[in-house]
Amino acid sequence: MDLLTFMQQMVNGFSLGSMYALIAIGYTMVYGVLRLINFAHGDIMMVGAFLAYAVISIFNLPFSVAVLLSVIISALVGILTDKIAYKPLREAPRISLLITAIGISFFLENAFTVFAGGVPRPFPVPEYMQNIFNVSGVIFSTSSIMVPFVTLILLLAILFVLYKTKYGMAIRALSFDIKTVNLMGIDANRIIAIVFALGSALAAVGGIFWVINYPSVEPMMGVLVGLKAFAAAVVGGIGSVTGAVLGGFIIGFTEVVVVAFFPDMAGYKDAFAFVFLIFVLLFKPTGIMGKDLEKSRF
Amino acid sequence: MRKIIGLSVATALTCTMALAKEINVGLILPMSGAVAAYGQNAEVGVKLAHKLQPKLDNGDEIKLILVDNKGDKVETANAATRLISSDKAVALIGAMISTNTAQVISIAEKKHIPVVAPAATNDKLTMRKKYANRVCFTDSFQGSVVANYALKQNKKNAVVIVDQATVYSLGLAKAFKNTYTKGGGKILKKIRITSGDKDYKAIISQIKKINPDIIFLPVYHPEASMIARQAKELGLKTTMISGDGVANQTFIDLGGDAVNGYLFTDAFDYTNPPTKKSAEFIKAYQKQTGSNALNAFSALGADTYNLLINAMNKCEDPTNSECINKEIKKTKNFEAVTGLISIDKDGNAIKSAVIKEIVNGKAEYKATVNP
Repeated sequence: MDLLTFMQQMVNGFSLGSMYALIAIGYTMVYGVLRLINFAHGDIMMVGAFLAYAVISIFNLPFSVAVLLSVIISALVGILTDKIAYKPLREAPRISLLITAIGISFFLENAFTVFAGGVPRPFPVPEYMQNIFNVSGVIFSTSSIMVPFVTLILLLAILFVLYKTKYGMAIRALSFDIKTVNLMGIDANRIIAIVFALGSALAAVGGIFWVINYPSVEPMMGVLVGLKAFAAAVVGGIGSVTGAVLGGFIIGFTEVVVVAFFPDMAGYKDAFAFVFLIFVLLFKPTGIMGKDLEKSRF
Repeated sequence: MRKIIGLSVATALTCTMALAKEINVGLILPMSGAVAAYGQNAEVGVKLAHKLQPKLDNGDEIKLILVDNKGDKVETANAATRLISSDKAVALIGAMISTNTAQVISIAEKKHIPVVAPAATNDKLTMRKKYANRVCFTDSFQGSVVANYALKQNKKNAVVIVDQATVYSLGLAKAFKNTYTKGGGKILKKIRITSGDKDYKAIISQIKKINPDIIFLPVYHPEASMIARQAKELGLKTTMISGDGVANQTFIDLGGDAVNGYLFTDAFDYTNPPTKKSAEFIKAYQKQTGSNALNAFSALGADTYNLLINAMNKCEDPTNSECINKEIKKTKNFEAVTGLISIDKDGNAIKSAVIKEIVNGKAEYKATVNP
């Protein structure tokens, strides 16, 4: 492979991986505090994309306002799902929570199918996101180069919240022991709501980037992306935020590398991503950045 | 005396009213899910055809029962079973894509209920099947049309992007390959993708290195539109050609500027109505929607219904599924919306195809290819 194609594939991998990373952070944070794999998370990303679409095409507001509103409302949707679906099950076995999460996922998919119909809609991508740059033969658009940067900034922001603020301390404490934290006078439910809000906001950002790069909005769009982001979170070490981002990049690159080196296997790139997940689990069950299963915290 | 006449007229009326039955016809279409655009187009056609001709010649009323299969295999199987067993449908129309139509056919075959498929083109669907019929052409015909067209444009090197998850794509790719290589064309590479994926940048970067004359994409519109968009972004300018999987407005909406110059085969072109019946139907369509841009899948949907009604009219008992099936297979030169249709003994339609090019966001007629 020549250097040019290699560089092009690296750019492709970076932009794809960042979008997985953004969504993986939400999986990892919710798992960190609740020990719950929130399978509805991929659909929150779809909700974020749909909200942005609705704000632009129905209310004719500018793109930046759409992003802001979408992120805020998605965060509220995240909090709401926790309040309605997960909060009553705090004392229930983990498996009930997992099943509820799958139920919420189906609910969101079908609710949007009812309201928006199943036909994919074109996302109105603003002109300045579609600028194409050509750096000595390596081609990328504004959006595909923006995603990795935004991801890194958001990762730093999340790490700042987790390690430098009072709420971050509460979140980390919560991930050790919910009951004790309650005894210390911290409202655990409020902290969990914050976690859901942060994760959902990131998923919305991921969803908006997703539809900028692949401008088609439909109710099922979050399913496969959600699964891959979940794989990314596990590969990186579920419970670790930095791990989630790392895992996102790894899954993104795996997909691109499979196509680049084995073009005949391009159709099986999803399988490769998941086989990779299985291997990581076999040799390092806690993922790359994960410590041990009981105590890995962010 | 007047009273008696009035009474007898009234009885006569109630008698005919009681005699005229309601006959259920099942309609299985994807109204949601990834291929919903196809199903919704077809529904428009079937419903309009039904509105124009809601009754059989003997006065029996046709009742259409629509079930959304979401483009999903399991949902399709459930829908077919439900329509046959609990709704007592005498015939089924649907589904849209070949994969799902195969489910409908396998169930209908066991229950001896005829199926008329509007747009499922896979060759194998009707093979060794007694109750499977379709009003669209087959992939082997469509594939050879595309291959011959590419060869005629002197595009001798092709890359084929095949969706390994759909029988439509695999069948069409095979048909294309047969004609193309026989005609002196060379397939430089066959790239496999899986439907549902959105990111094709890695694949496009590869194709740029191969640099073919033409790219053949026997895939559905969600994938084709994303490939076209990302190809434009990465500066790949090779002509792309597809089968009828991209023959709908959603493809153009999703693809935007990127699909200008895109070629595809279609069953029908509203600017060139092939029969008197199609001109009439387009007029009715315009009356209902205000536009004469009748989609090929809507036209095919109307054809399934009209063909079925035509067969039922020929049966003494229009609820006799065996008879309906026999009459469908006897159809010769039936004047349909998409042109003259003859059904062969396998249930396949023999008819012509149309090639179109997308120019400034509109599909423009280029040529008609006869079988």
